[in-house]
Amino acid sequence: MEIDPLYLLQLTVNGIMLGLLYALIAVGLALIFGVLEIVNFAHGEFLMAGAFAMAFALPATGLSYWPSLFVAIFVTAVGGLILYELFLSRLQHGAFERSILITLAISIIILHAAQFAFSANPRMVDTQYGFDGFSVGAIRVTWTRVIGAGAAVAAFALLYAVLNHTQFGRAMRAIAQNREAALMVGIKPRAVARNAVVLATALCGLAGAALAPVQLVTPAMGQALIFKAFALVIIGGLGNIPGAIAAALILGLIESWIGGFFEIVWQEAAVFVLMIAVLCLRPEGLFKRGAMRVG
Amino acid sequence: MKLTAVIAAAALAGALPWLTSSNYIIGVALSACIFTVAAAALNLVYGYTGLLSFAQLGFWGIGGYATALTVMTFGGNFWLGLLCAALTNAVVALAIGYPALRTNRHAFVMTTLAFALLVSLVARDWVSLTRGPLGIPGLPPPTLFGYAFRTTPQFYLLAWAYALLALGFLYALCTSRIGRTLVAIKQNESLVRAQGISPMPYKLAAFAIAAAITGVAGGIYTFHLKIIDPLFLDFYYMQTFLIMVIIGGAGSFWGVVIAGVLMAALPEVLRFSEDWRMIIYGAVLLAAMLAMPGGVAGWLHAWRVARMRAAVR
Repeated sequence: MEIDPLYLLQLTVNGIMLGLLYALIAVGLALIFGVLEIVNFAHGEFLMAGAFAMAFALPATGLSYWPSLFVAIFVTAVGGLILYELFLSRLQHGAFERSILITLAISIIILHAAQFAFSANPRMVDTQYGFDGFSVGAIRVTWTRVIGAGAAVAAFALLYAVLNHTQFGRAMRAIAQNREAALMVGIKPRAVARNAVVLATALCGLAGAALAPVQLVTPAMGQALIFKAFALVIIGGLGNIPGAIAAALILGLIESWIGGFFEIVWQEAAVFVLMIAVLCLRPEGLFKRGAMRVG
Repeated sequence: MKLTAVIAAAALAGALPWLTSSNYIIGVALSACIFTVAAAALNLVYGYTGLLSFAQLGFWGIGGYATALTVMTFGGNFWLGLLCAALTNAVVALAIGYPALRTNRHAFVMTTLAFALLVSLVARDWVSLTRGPLGIPGLPPPTLFGYAFRTTPQFYLLAWAYALLALGFLYALCTSRIGRTLVAIKQNESLVRAQGISPMPYKLAAFAIAAAITGVAGGIYTFHLKIIDPLFLDFYYMQTFLIMVIIGGAGSFWGVVIAGVLMAALPEVLRFSEDWRMIIYGAVLLAAMLAMPGGVAGWLHAWRVARMRAAVR
């Protein structure tokens, strides 16, 4: 098979952008797992909420991108606060199966309520940038994709700084590393857990808002992505934030390459096949929790 | 006393086609039989062994497709199809279960979920085998020694017989030494290891047996619907099984069976509004998890223990 290098480069650029958006979702899941040791099944619905918030905020602000992005992040962060205070704070530590079923129920309710309220028809989201883009040689990229990827990178830098250089973030890492010791030095697990959930849902809202102008917005959009994100956090090692980011970037590239050269079936199945292969070789995930954990 | 009640209930259920002429009621009872069996199989994995498995949905779908394909594509009969469904599922369960069970219980849940999604992707996208979203319509009624299970009451008898067989087998398994070992693994796996029992074969066996039973249930249900398409792998079915197990009480055999029979009627009651049905389902699950995580059986047990304590004091 003859491979055009330009085509391959274009696929690679697309793959990195896709991977960065996957990483935003997976990082939130990894953060929540690291601190609370639960899996948030409603995470995909927060993504959808972020996208819908963007879709409604854009016309209201006269299509300006950045204010709408912040509205979407704010909306999902408040949603995360409600999720934690009403439901997750009631869970005892270690009630893993119960947490899954509770967040699953919340996900069902939000998904179907959104279908009821906004109908299942996909909607296009237009921004001030429209479908403009720029070209480097023969490679063409739209602005909305570049900005989405840029926002993701900025969010990771910010997250890194927060986790490593603020009291707020250090407390999160402390709880994730050793719960009892963190309790003993006077860290409040409840407040830290709340912060982690709000931070994770805000990241998810950012992902949803950045995705809204790139693809169609539907109530079910979160479902399709969240299952990939679950697979990613397993591949990266549960609760391992750098692992989740690496796995997301790898998957974005693999999906983009496969999508360019093979049938679309393989693109969708790639993540699951990758996960099962990783689990067979390294049951703890590619990057084991412990050595290089951050969350 | 308990035995008499069970036999009476089973006989009453079997006599249903002679008690009512309403095809609608018999249809609901048929779903109740099939869903109860699938819920009881999930109970074996989740309630007894403590492994929350979303793979049951995948096995339900594989069972349905295996039975339908055996009859329509490979020219076998219905009974051979069911056998194929059970064997395929057992083999797939061993292949998926081994790597998934080597991980911790957190990763196990998500791996089984990913597997269920993979099955629905395959059903949708492997068009040359499954005909994709078009589905496989026109499944013929199964026959046994020249007797065709054509009408709903006739098909109900088939589902009823399978429910008796599967539930009887599961009851025998759950109350045997194997069942007690599974409960021990759920409660304290390290202790089980210390007693010289390797948990892996037990977990794997429970996973594979539940897969085979769910697969046959899926196969029978497909032939009741007379069509199979990727909607057969809708997450709605998984939710139904889960809610039955949770409301009944995970780890309680009769709790889940009773909840299965009662809850199968719930979607019919909620059918007044398609839009609200799933929202109410989610709300029921949420309320049950918040108010009584042990289900009705767990709540009754706690109540009985409290009463005994009060009497002793």
